Amino acid sequence: MQTIEISQVRKTYDEFVAVDNLTFDIAQGSVFGLLGPNGAGKTSTIRMMIGITAPDSGEIKVFGKPFDRKSLQRIGYLPEERGLYKKMKVLDQLVFLAELHGVNASVARKKATDWCERLEIAEKLDKKVEELSKGMQQKIQFIASLLHDPEFIIMDEPFYGLDPVNSTLLKDVMLDLKKSGRTILFSTHRMDQVEKLCDSICLINRGRSVLQGPLKQVKAQYGKSNVQIEYEGSGDFLQKGELVGSYNNYGNYVEVRLAPGADAQQLLHIAAERSRISKFEVVEPSLEEIFIEVVGKNDA
Amino acid sequence: MRNIWLIARREYMERVRTRSFMIMTILTPLLMGAVTVGPGMLAERMSHHERHMVVVASDQQTGETIKAQLLHTDKESQDTAAEARKSSIRKSPAAPSSELTVDVDTDTSAAHRTDLVQRLQRKDLDGVIWAANDALQARKVPFITRDTSSFIENAEIQSSLTQSMTRRALQARGVSDQEIKNIFEPVKLDVEDAAGKGAVNPQVVLITRFVMVMILYMSLLLYGINVMRAVLEEKTSRIMEVMLSIAQAREMMAGKILGVGAVGLTQIGIWAVFALLYIVPSAVAMRNQLKTVLSPGLLIWFAVFYLLGYALYSTMYAAIGSMVNSEQEAQQLQFVAVIPLIAAVVIMFSVAQMPSSPLAVWCSLIPFTSPLIMFMRMAVQTPPLWQIALSLAILIGTIYGLVLLCAKIYRVGILMYGKRPTLPEIAKWLRYA
Repeated sequence: MQTIEISQVRKTYDEFVAVDNLTFDIAQGSVFGLLGPNGAGKTSTIRMMIGITAPDSGEIKVFGKPFDRKSLQRIGYLPEERGLYKKMKVLDQLVFLAELHGVNASVARKKATDWCERLEIAEKLDKKVEELSKGMQQKIQFIASLLHDPEFIIMDEPFYGLDPVNSTLLKDVMLDLKKSGRTILFSTHRMDQVEKLCDSICLINRGRSVLQGPLKQVKAQYGKSNVQIEYEGSGDFLQKGELVGSYNNYGNYVEVRLAPGADAQQLLHIAAERSRISKFEVVEPSLEEIFIEVVGKNDA
Repeated sequence: MRNIWLIARREYMERVRTRSFMIMTILTPLLMGAVTVGPGMLAERMSHHERHMVVVASDQQTGETIKAQLLHTDKESQDTAAEARKSSIRKSPAAPSSELTVDVDTDTSAAHRTDLVQRLQRKDLDGVIWAANDALQARKVPFITRDTSSFIENAEIQSSLTQSMTRRALQARGVSDQEIKNIFEPVKLDVEDAAGKGAVNPQVVLITRFVMVMILYMSLLLYGINVMRAVLEEKTSRIMEVMLSIAQAREMMAGKILGVGAVGLTQIGIWAVFALLYIVPSAVAMRNQLKTVLSPGLLIWFAVFYLLGYALYSTMYAAIGSMVNSEQEAQQLQFVAVIPLIAAVVIMFSVAQMPSSPLAVWCSLIPFTSPLIMFMRMAVQTPPLWQIALSLAILIGTIYGLVLLCAKIYRVGILMYGKRPTLPEIAKWLRYA
């Protein structure tokens, strides 16, 4: 069963093509990553899923049926543009948003209190939103998208602006949600943050899908051709050629992508001759590297 | 429907609970009261003082005639003022009568004049009327006073002197005192309408009408701008996207308009209760007069035009709010909505005087001025039924069209950030909304 089925969707604003022939499915109970740089078309795609805008062509099915406003009560949405009524009290605001999603007021009150306790902001329930810090407002918005027990949760840049402690708190909540069978869509340009959470991904660039599938498959496709090296001394072993395809040098630490057909042992040999090596590890590439490679290839 | 209700309720509760709502609700009637009652009370207090005048004439008889006439005119003007107070809806305390003392003097020497002027400067006297024979013959009488600009007092003295001279001339021609008295008896005007009902003080009626139209104007403007602000607030706080993920743009617009409109009705309702409490004591005694000033029919029409006018203007303001990104930009665009309202107020006075003039008829049909102008016309006369019906039909039709149009602008506008749209861009929005 698929929660979302998007097939050959296209959306243009005037001349600008925001989404171009996009097709992907999100399986029920999975965590899906919609990844891409700023302006790639992620938010435009999400807006079409929840009926804020309509696609120019193509089809979007939500919960197995063509989009219907009734299904919005089963969807939780945390938009990238965070916003709350500034003058409104936290509890009133949460209850109002939950009521709009069809939750009874007294139930909403109870749930809002529970959630605020879980996210350690219960003492702020009676405060106005404008009196809270940005991080706290983020948490409230997060709660607002979950109060109606949605089956499908859309999180656009969920960790944006959060400190490590709160990021971990939110990540744990999302893992719990996943365990209880919810479908989650992450949309972000910070790929490192979600790559550990996602079951499958879709990388988009300029409105087009450039790479998609289960995360394990995607990574396997790119093999173990990355080397992380910590070194002291000269880094002049990093010369592009038969061994080194590309690299990202941080001074004492470098990530090397091997050239096709190159052998990591050979690189270790050369590197050890010229510098002191304290760590040498062959790893699978990060999503970010894969993305840069794919996009670079497409653009070239 | 449920969403509209929830959004309207939120809007209403959040607004009514603010401190500024309370302050505005209490302060406005107090201020209005201060403005309408204050100057009257001040004037009453000012007029309550003793005045001491000296009439200098060449002979005692002339002096006595002028004195009698001055006292008579003063009494008349005080009676008129008391009459006006009695017919006003509000009961004012018994008018304090000012006391006028007039002395007659026959010493017309220059030295005596200097002496009188000195007494005037010492404030022993308040005025000297130099009615010596040569002055009377020249028909130019000096009036020496410290307060040379007292317009009403000067006019009273002038008319007293003129009447005195006429009286003296008639006496000289042998007309009897009784005949002279008859000649000077003023004619009173008895106003009644076609149904034969006695008119209330027409000033009171007219002022009540103006006040009602002004309340209409101010509330249309005030609550319209409130709607615009509410939309803008949602845009700048970026809550729009959260709302749109569950509610439709037109539900949001309708909810806002209804919520803010209900706040307006609440406020006007509270003021009406204030006003009733204020006038109830005299209202019971003057039921009939009150009916002429504020008939139930007129109040119903007031509500009808308030609601229709509010629907028209708040829809426009909602669309403006959705198009802009800041208060400053909003102010620049606001004039589109404000100009017809101001135009209506400007022509209101001419409409009140000539409610059947072509200007009045046209403006009571044009939908953007009709809420104010048609109400004004209905308040001062009974316009032909077909004109009332046509005006309402055009107004309701325009509201319907405008709601459809503005809902489209709103739908696109609320998600547009950045620069203010140009007219061609708005036209484009309409096409793809």
